[in-house]
Amino acid sequence: MGRIVGIDLGTTNSLVAYLDPQSGAPKCVPGPSGSTLCPSIVSLDPDGSIIVGEPARRRLLTQPERTIYSVKRLMGRGPSDIQSELKLFPFRVDPSSDHVIRVRLGRKVFTPPEISSFILRELKNWAEAYFNEAVDRAVITVPAYFNDAQRQATKDAGRLAGLEVLRLVNEPTAAALAYGLHEKQRGKVAVYDLGGGTFDISVLKLISTSEGDIYQVLSTNGDTHLGGDDIDNLLQAFAHEEILATDQIDFSPHGELAQELRRELIAVKHRLSQADSVTLRFPLPNGKVFVHEFTRGALEALIRPVVDRTMVPVRQALGDARLKPTEMDEVVLVGGATRTPLIRRTVQEFFDRKPHTELNPDEVVALGAAVQANILDRGVRNMLLLDVTPLSLGIETYGGAVAKLIPRNSTIPAGAQELYTTGVDNQTGIDIHVLQGERELAKDCRSLARFTLRVPPAPAGLPRIEVKFLIDANGILQAGAKDIRTGEERSIEVQPSYGLNDNDIERMLEESIEYAEQDFAERQTIEAKTEAETILKATAKALANPNAASLSQPERVKIEVTTAALQDAMEGSDYKLIRKQIDELNRATGHLAELLMNSAVQTALEGKKLGEV
Amino acid sequence: MSTLPTTTNPPLVCWNCHERTVGTHFCPGCGKVLQLPQQSDYFAMLELPRKLWLEMSVLEHKFLQLSWKLHPDNFVNASQEEREISLKRSSELNDAYRTLRDPIARVEYLLAVEGARKEGENKQQAPPELLEEVFELNESLDELRDAKASGGDTASLKQRLEAAEKNFEQKLAEVDGRLQATAREWDKAIDDNADEAARKQVMAKLNELLNRRSYIRNLVVNVRKELL
Repeated sequence: MGRIVGIDLGTTNSLVAYLDPQSGAPKCVPGPSGSTLCPSIVSLDPDGSIIVGEPARRRLLTQPERTIYSVKRLMGRGPSDIQSELKLFPFRVDPSSDHVIRVRLGRKVFTPPEISSFILRELKNWAEAYFNEAVDRAVITVPAYFNDAQRQATKDAGRLAGLEVLRLVNEPTAAALAYGLHEKQRGKVAVYDLGGGTFDISVLKLISTSEGDIYQVLSTNGDTHLGGDDIDNLLQAFAHEEILATDQIDFSPHGELAQELRRELIAVKHRLSQADSVTLRFPLPNGKVFVHEFTRGALEALIRPVVDRTMVPVRQALGDARLKPTEMDEVVLVGGATRTPLIRRTVQEFFDRKPHTELNPDEVVALGAAVQANILDRGVRNMLLLDVTPLSLGIETYGGAVAKLIPRNSTIPAGAQELYTTGVDNQTGIDIHVLQGERELAKDCRSLARFTLRVPPAPAGLPRIEVKFLIDANGILQAGAKDIRTGEERSIEVQPSYGLNDNDIERMLEESIEYAEQDFAERQTIEAKTEAETILKATAKALANPNAASLSQPERVKIEVTTAALQDAMEGSDYKLIRKQIDELNRATGHLAELLMNSAVQTALEGKKLGEV
Repeated sequence: MSTLPTTTNPPLVCWNCHERTVGTHFCPGCGKVLQLPQQSDYFAMLELPRKLWLEMSVLEHKFLQLSWKLHPDNFVNASQEEREISLKRSSELNDAYRTLRDPIARVEYLLAVEGARKEGENKQQAPPELLEEVFELNESLDELRDAKASGGDTASLKQRLEAAEKNFEQKLAEVDGRLQATAREWDKAIDDNADEAARKQVMAKLNELLNRRSYIRNLVVNVRKELL
């Protein structure tokens, strides 16, 4: 088994972290550039290869039609859900989209879990390069307010990336875990998490028991379509209007100029966290320059509606936990957008308490995921996370109403059962529609799945079928049925309303080989064998050199023995053994190399003056 | 959403070591997590008597203690079978805690396991002594809806409904008080080892109070919705 990591699969950036055994503290893994942030941007190169992260970001400007960002907004959603997003995001949704969205990159079409799997695979490669060891299991974080389909889509992405997803952990809970470990916090903690595309609020109770620390989530709430992106969209809409008014240039939101402007505006936003005013100078295609002075006050006026929207779930979560804002012992800020001074102020005023910002808000979720990964990997028994389901689970009843079976904020795993019978004689099926949400009518809730319960023919009312619903520790629903009269259990064929079914996944797993790099061990073995062949050739050539004649007999024997050992190792696929034998041979040929080097230097110097060397 | 694996009925013998078992949660023979026996209930699971007054801190302590042992985190590297049992057991524990923590859900559950929970023949039917007030309330609600639809004056109607809402909220509090008193009767019947007839009488009373409570609660919820 390979290593396990914690991954924060974010809207804007993704990170991978691990628990450092020496310090016992979680750490983020840096990528090739040295940064721990991998921009969640994917680009399809014209040669068919997949480019992820910073290199893909550059292509947002040069090849926007082959590049996608913020794909997390599409996870677990259907085409009709995202009409409002399409006005603001340059997603090219393919007409073939049905229960799952398909996005076009160049000439190819991908589902959101596939695109997310490319990001996960990139992070897996970062970690493998860092550890020089295979990584095959992960804990992945999701917004606490993600529904079943969004969670399932994330799990599917992990599977497509060649990772066994041991657990999905809610982002604010992961952050609390990282802070708890760091600060030894106790009592009631509120986590305010404003990410690139999602907002979560979780209220936790940290309990010390004789067995260890328990992180019990009391309530959670949020908005899976509210984040820093919305602030950027407001800024962009504002700038587009200004430019239209002053220069009569209408920006298409899809164009590369709009992307460039967006990037500049984000930079302005970041600088306004420190500075009181920032002047933007943006060259326009008509040769003029758009100049605008942004003040912090004006920015705050612009983004206040977004900040106010976050406070609705905050109040709801506190109400559900039956707590007042001032009853919280600690408040924690998570997510890059919480660097905004207006957000810090608003949260501080609401809770009447200075929020914690000690840990890097970009990294803290990944760090918490690494802590949970370590708990699961090593069976650490001194920490326990008890999370909740963010949305009530229900079934459709007569007249399109919803009967709630598992209320929101129930500790997971959670279960419920419902007894069904037939309404007419010899009825052979009962249709069941499973939903998630707080509204009273089925049409206002999120459809999770529909299935037909098979019933043996019998007089009406006689069959008694118990359907069991179970939300697992990942917040994902499972369903099963039992015939009460016979005691026979039966499985249920479920067609998810949104998302991939098993056949889709199988097909994608096959297709993914096209993009997948080889398995880590396989790749290492191939590299080690290539290196071994090079050194074997060089050794044979060196031994044939007249200058090798001065080698002693024991030295020659040693070289022969280690050469044979390396050749043996190459028969197998243990790359560590091959590397060990390469080292052995390198040591054995040390003197030989020296002899040849000296003679080569002599040859090279012959006939030359010293000054020419 | 995925399909729940099918499992066999909870056995009287341990699924792992095949010894006859008497443990509540773990096999005394081999230490493996056990399926819950069919006749078990939430009270037994949390090692509590079937009584209605619970010390919340005791309940929470039991819940946390068992969570340490039964949570799926502890079984990540276990066999598929043991993982599935742990998932089931852990969900049952959480369901038990959620139910027993809530005083009303606790009474409903007790009556259900005792086979004494009978919902009203017709949930829409008002208790006789409330008939007149309910009739008035419904009339006011209709008037408010009409006024809203025709854009007429709603202020005075709203005032009347707010008063009615307060009135029914007070009745709800009364029912809750009577439920509490009857719950104490139940606990006393258990402590005194009262005969079945006496117990059944208390349960019938509890059942009637639950039905009344749910009726009044629906009224209040409906009024609140119209007043929003």
